[in-house]
Amino acid sequence: MRSLLGELAAGTGGEVTVTDMEASIEHMSRGTIRHVDVLLMVTEPYFRSLETAGRMAPLARELGIGHVWAIANKVRGERDEEIIRSYCEERGIEVGGVVPWDEAVQEADREGRALMDYAATAPAVVAVERIADLIEERVGGRGGA
Amino acid sequence: MRIAVGGKGGSGKTTIAATLARALARRGHPVTALDGDPNPNLGVALGVSRERLGSLVRVPKEIIEMKEEGGQRTLVLTRPVEEIFAEYGVSAPDGVNLMVMTGVDHAGAG
Repeated sequence: MRSLLGELAAGTGGEVTVTDMEASIEHMSRGTIRHVDVLLMVTEPYFRSLETAGRMAPLARELGIGHVWAIANKVRGERDEEIIRSYCEERGIEVGGVVPWDEAVQEADREGRALMDYAATAPAVVAVERIADLIEERVGGRGGA
Repeated sequence: MRIAVGGKGGSGKTTIAATLARALARRGHPVTALDGDPNPNLGVALGVSRERLGSLVRVPKEIIEMKEEGGQRTLVLTRPVEEIFAEYGVSAPDGVNLMVMTGVDHAGAG
């Protein structure tokens, strides 16, 4: 199974690709994106959201994607974080990051601006920087492909 | 490094993908961001200017086609990936290169 998105996501080998894709179980089962090093499954602290990640993870691993991590998003407090962590732990899914609920995200969106430009030190950005740390550490080197 | 960011609509994946792309670019990585969502919003989330978004041409599906070779059908790119990146990419801040796909991507057989 090959797809245009998959081919482009695989890149040329000379750059870092970041592909935003809808979370489709179909994508995973058809192998639309398989030649990537990391799949980040963004999930909110609700069962329906977690279920999507729960279904995608084994499919992604079957495709041979080396790192499959859940990213907890819009997390408000310990209970939300705990819900996501225990769901993932039960299924052997690693949590690669916890991004807190952050008003700056909607504020930036309302103004049609990038969050990074609107508030580079906002809590959500700090959390994403930590995800970048994890990726650099576990997948690739620094400064360059 | 090749990273895919997936999630349900409204989960915040686009914000995370965009912010991650910018963060990695600031660390010196040459980043290409790809919008494969049927409802593409990655450009705005990356901070691409309105002018550039207006001039953006989406990658046409015809760039990949089914070829029959020796009884086998495979999907092949009609042009090298480097060329596709150069032609359809638009600049986002921090040197990120953005490409947006056309509509729903159907994987072919084979």
